[in-house]
Amino acid sequence: MLRFLLLAVLCWAAPVLAQTMPDSEVRTKLSAAILAEDEAQEELIQTVGATGSPLAAEILGLWRQGSVYLDTTADGDKIPFIKKDGASLRIDTGAAFTPESPTEAETSSKLRKSIRTALDLMEVADPDPKTRASAIQKLGGTQNDEYLPVLKVRLEMETDKKVRKALEAAIATIDLTNEDDAVCIAAIQKLGTLKNLASMDTLKAMITSEEESDAAKAEAQKAVSILESYSRWVNAGGTLFSGISAGSVLLVVALGLAITFGLMGVINMAHGEIMAVGAYTTYFVQNIFGGGLSLSMFGQGLKIPGMNLTGSAYQSYFIWAIPASFLTAALVGIALERGVIRFLYKRPLESLLATWGISLILQQLFKLVVGPNNVSVSSPTYLSGSFIVSDVSLGYNRVFVICFAAAIVFCTWMLLTKTRLGLFIRAVMQNRQMAACMGVRTERVNMLTFGFGSGLAGLGGAFLSQLGNVGPNLGQDYIVDSFMTVVVGGVGNLIGTVCSAIGIGTAAQSLQAVTDPSMGKVLALGSIILFLLWRPGGLFPTRTRSLEG
Amino acid sequence: MRKPENLILIIGALLLLVIMPLMNAYGTAGSPLHVSDYTINLWGKYLSYALLAISVNLLWGYTGLLSLGQCLFFSLGGYALGMHLMLKIGKLGQFYKAGNNPLELPDFMVFMGKTELPGHWIPFHNFWFAALMVFVVPGMVAFLFGWLAFRSRIKGVYFSILTQALTYAASLLFFQNKFTFGGNNGLTDFKTLLGADLNAADVRRNLYIATVILLFTVLLLVKWLLGTKFGKVQKAIRDSENRVLFSGYATTTFKLFIFVLCAVIAGAAGALYVPQVGIINPSEMTPDKSLEAVVWVAVGGRGTLLGPVYGAIFVNALKSWATTAYPDYWLIILGGLFVLAVLFTPNGMAGLPQQIKDIIAWFKRRAANRHAEAAAATPA
Repeated sequence: MLRFLLLAVLCWAAPVLAQTMPDSEVRTKLSAAILAEDEAQEELIQTVGATGSPLAAEILGLWRQGSVYLDTTADGDKIPFIKKDGASLRIDTGAAFTPESPTEAETSSKLRKSIRTALDLMEVADPDPKTRASAIQKLGGTQNDEYLPVLKVRLEMETDKKVRKALEAAIATIDLTNEDDAVCIAAIQKLGTLKNLASMDTLKAMITSEEESDAAKAEAQKAVSILESYSRWVNAGGTLFSGISAGSVLLVVALGLAITFGLMGVINMAHGEIMAVGAYTTYFVQNIFGGGLSLSMFGQGLKIPGMNLTGSAYQSYFIWAIPASFLTAALVGIALERGVIRFLYKRPLESLLATWGISLILQQLFKLVVGPNNVSVSSPTYLSGSFIVSDVSLGYNRVFVICFAAAIVFCTWMLLTKTRLGLFIRAVMQNRQMAACMGVRTERVNMLTFGFGSGLAGLGGAFLSQLGNVGPNLGQDYIVDSFMTVVVGGVGNLIGTVCSAIGIGTAAQSLQAVTDPSMGKVLALGSIILFLLWRPGGLFPTRTRSLEG
Repeated sequence: MRKPENLILIIGALLLLVIMPLMNAYGTAGSPLHVSDYTINLWGKYLSYALLAISVNLLWGYTGLLSLGQCLFFSLGGYALGMHLMLKIGKLGQFYKAGNNPLELPDFMVFMGKTELPGHWIPFHNFWFAALMVFVVPGMVAFLFGWLAFRSRIKGVYFSILTQALTYAASLLFFQNKFTFGGNNGLTDFKTLLGADLNAADVRRNLYIATVILLFTVLLLVKWLLGTKFGKVQKAIRDSENRVLFSGYATTTFKLFIFVLCAVIAGAAGALYVPQVGIINPSEMTPDKSLEAVVWVAVGGRGTLLGPVYGAIFVNALKSWATTAYPDYWLIILGGLFVLAVLFTPNGMAGLPQQIKDIIAWFKRRAANRHAEAAAATPA
């Protein structure tokens, strides 16, 4: 009876679902259902469920928990109501009132089950395909054959491809429990062809189960091996993706260094701290867009007022943070170049020491200005979440990192090859004296190049703030990696840096997938060191006739 | 320049080796002639750092190889001796006392759920084996790395970056618990060395004396080495490696030898440092520590015999003072000192007297010139 009813309701309800029913109508149906009795009640519950309205779902859920009450008025009328925030709300009108003699609305186990089915169905018919698919998956996972008719009906009218797949998988998963061997085997084969990874455990259990026939076991074995090889592909795809995104992070971080170290030959140990400047700038911009922040700078309280923006205006902070962090980091870099590095162009090893001193000073300044603890920068909504391509989950922020890295590499390349400044930069880096003789203001070019490299580091920092916390030691975690990336790529070679960053990222992620994360990192570093001992010039060594080159 | 150096060496040796321990042993507490046990211990630490600085200087100041891996060798030496000290805790360990460690394993292993001693720990029961390993392990690592690096003609900043990466990788490895060297916490809580109580004042004094003796031996060795033909080739490599190479010297072999020698000195320094400080953990081998050692040399004066010793003592004393007096600013003080030292005193503290002389001479010359100009102007 119940099944027939379900079918009937679903067939009737499905077309209606598209347009949402007004709340008042839903309320009338709800109170009618609560006041009705026996078979009629069941039928009414299903019609309520068929409305697909969130209000109906909420009240049905409450009813199932026994939180719907009945009030008997003086004239013997019964009014169903719910209690919310201490007030009593009539279900039929939604208005608050004072009940005279309230009692709990009775629920039998049969009734609760019926409500439950209605709720499940509401989810299966949810207008959002994602919710629909996950509800279907949940139903399939129960392996309860009561859901079978519902799912089959849904399959007939479902148009969304992904949901159809989920439906077929759910039906097959439920069919696994079917006593008829032929149905069972067909279901196993279906799961194999659908490449349904969720059913892997169930299938594995079937292979060892004693209740299954040999034919079914053999089929299950086949399906499991198909699924396993598929899952290997999925894992490899996942590793590749996380490798490329880790490589892009490395690239964003190392690109600035590829300019300052690779092109200019300055060993800037404060590179990591300049990245942290970018990350902190993002933090400041976020707080200024939000509620402001108070600092205890050198023990002096300082309050920076916020703009108290909300919604998309607040979310757009990251768009503003990107140029802001580029500029701040570039300014810090220019100050560093003017103040210290320009005296040390002829003594690269000593620039290493001086900039390390600067990095200590900057770290301490971060601690004094922002505080010794890590701060977190919340990702804007458009960077959180993910989408799934054939079972590989792609996070938006990771995809964004990849696009962002591609964009800044492109911009850097454009700047270096297509602009006048780029021409000067290349000229000065190749032969400083000759460039000076030709009238290039080498001092100014040095300053701008270093500023540009530092700005890129700042962009890297803005980016890292989206992937983890921001702290005074942020730069320390990346400095060795970035130097390695630049050296492996071949110093002074942008394409080399791109290749080595992606290569190192993918290799490190694969090693981490094979062993554990920290061991993977050690192994990756070890292999990089060995590679460089074997090929000191990196992937794309600079060819030169100079002896000291 | 030569004579004052010898004088300083003799006075320094007298002061550090004879007077300070005597004042510690026989001075009555509270009198101005007394050196406290704490001071002796602190100076023991400074002087092991000075040894490390000498090894950095021998490489950087005299051969032109800026190694950021010296701390790794220092720690390896420290770990080798630390392993022996760890095994000698034996019956004094917390878990043994609690009765659930009959095999006398080091406590951290019991904590990690190990039931037997890993194979590579067993020989360290013997002190002489451990003492040998203090030299062999850093020496071997340096030999392998140096052989590969110099063979590929890695030099200059690339050598620095690679040694830094090596140190970083090693510290990550030692930070891991399953690497059987105590992970994060390292080796600590030592009790005895050759049967002597490590916390006793006279044992600490003897360790201090051993450090001073080693320091002066190494100083004399370096002084002698620099006077030989080997030392001249070494300095020639620093100044122009290619010329040396084309004159028919196998620069690779020279560099490899000096690299291994410096690793061994650093390892010995580490082995003296560990019993005096009472702990060795992977944070001693982070790239930062190596950079710090390089900075001691830069501050003290690279390419001078005594510069690294001055630098190590001065910077560490400054650090001890600044971390307590200005806990919020000491990194700024240190960082600022490094920047200033690199920018304004290329020869460090050891070169400071000469630098001051030069400046005074310059002022005098300028004054003399003015005077001459004035004299020339007057008759006209």
